[in-house]
Amino acid sequence: MASSDKTPQGMPTSESHTPGTPMKAGQHVLDKGAQMLQSLKPVKQMKQHVCTFALYSHDMTRQIETHHYITRLNQDFLQCAVYDSDNSDAHLIGIEYIVSDRIFEALPPEEQKLWHSHAYEIKSGMWVNPRVPVMIQKPELENIAKSYGKFWCTWQVDRGDRLPLGAPALMMSPQAVNLGIVRPDLVQKRDDKYKISTDSLKQSRLEIPEPEWINPNADYWKQSFGKGFALDIEPTEMKLKAPFP
Amino acid sequence: MSTHPEVPGEPTHTTTALLETATSAIQGFGPINKIHQHLCAFHFYGHDMTRQVEAHHFCAHQNEEMRQCLIYDGPEADAKLIGLEYIISENLFMTLTDMEKPLWHSHEFEVKSGVLFMPRMPALVERQDLEKVCKTYGKTIHFWQVDRGDNLPLGLPQIMMALTRDGQLDEKLARDCGKRFGVIFDKERENRAYMKGPEHGIHPLANGAGKGLQTKLREVDCKPTESVPRVFV
Repeated sequence: MASSDKTPQGMPTSESHTPGTPMKAGQHVLDKGAQMLQSLKPVKQMKQHVCTFALYSHDMTRQIETHHYITRLNQDFLQCAVYDSDNSDAHLIGIEYIVSDRIFEALPPEEQKLWHSHAYEIKSGMWVNPRVPVMIQKPELENIAKSYGKFWCTWQVDRGDRLPLGAPALMMSPQAVNLGIVRPDLVQKRDDKYKISTDSLKQSRLEIPEPEWINPNADYWKQSFGKGFALDIEPTEMKLKAPFP
Repeated sequence: MSTHPEVPGEPTHTTTALLETATSAIQGFGPINKIHQHLCAFHFYGHDMTRQVEAHHFCAHQNEEMRQCLIYDGPEADAKLIGLEYIISENLFMTLTDMEKPLWHSHEFEVKSGVLFMPRMPALVERQDLEKVCKTYGKTIHFWQVDRGDNLPLGLPQIMMALTRDGQLDEKLARDCGKRFGVIFDKERENRAYMKGPEHGIHPLANGAGKGLQTKLREVDCKPTESVPRVFV
């Protein structure tokens, strides 16, 4: 019925904004009202914005700049709402979960296959907290360097989808070699926007310790010599409680 | 029944917390600042109607016809981010291919039955927005199966579905939720009887085209296969 690695047929595609009419004044008023009366607590817990890059696990030539808005649940666990830009009209393109190496090691191997390591992303300077002075970023970077992430992308904006189509796609992280290398022009574009230099950041992060060990079950394409994962959505018999639909 | 399993890990270190106080003050949160609305509803798994989840949506409008929502397992600060939902107008739904339509569910029943609500909003104001939601379609994906006690987001994404008729919603789940939020669903049902669903009726291909939906993982060769060296550094 739908697969994360198949291009949807027959949909108009373009790089432009989401289809739909602009918001009416009435809706703005309703929204403002809700915002004032409702507490929105979970959303207020997002305390970090990170800009980095991700690659589709079924096609690592497709690479995207991502914007993570991160909530920490405890010292070992982060949950991130991922967008395709930091503008207020950004598309919500997926969710990433980040766990410490301690938590990761306790996961079953079948689960670990779906995760990616972060050490290279940090050391290379790809992962940045825009606007935050380098010194403030450092301690957190040491934590993240040892962590692993699981990132599902639900809106493939980079292939021109104007609406979120198809099945969620598993994403991988930038790595130093082969399929994991992020195109320099993508990085340059990001650097220009924030007036930073990923190369300089790399230099400033030399002292961040490399993890002693990166679990080989993560970054599946490495161990498997170039295999990735696609997700299919298939019709099935639904277990019922009452008639459907 | 929904559970709130505790995520493993050490309590946040003070240094980390301080750092986050700094980043939250310095950085921009553009897309997040647009989230303006809290909406509570019930989802069930696309392959299993008996597994149901109370889903707290935090929604932002992309435009008049499209919303994108983060879904948490509760309304509190320590709530887990368990999924997301995209909500589109009937017009936008009609532009989807026939392959895509089944992945989207209708909202008419949830809204009209009263079980979809906006905590703390005065009912009159709530109804103004829900009149619109009543005509929309949603695509919901969950990544964290808290209802089976998972204390981490394990496994594959799940396509979720919405209630489409009486008898589907677990009564205990509903009662418990109504009590916590001080909402009487049946009363709201009466107040919302005037609302209309999609102009063209609920599309027959929506809601899984009447079937269940399940996700499956498939191993593939990363493209382009020719460029993958047999020897890795």
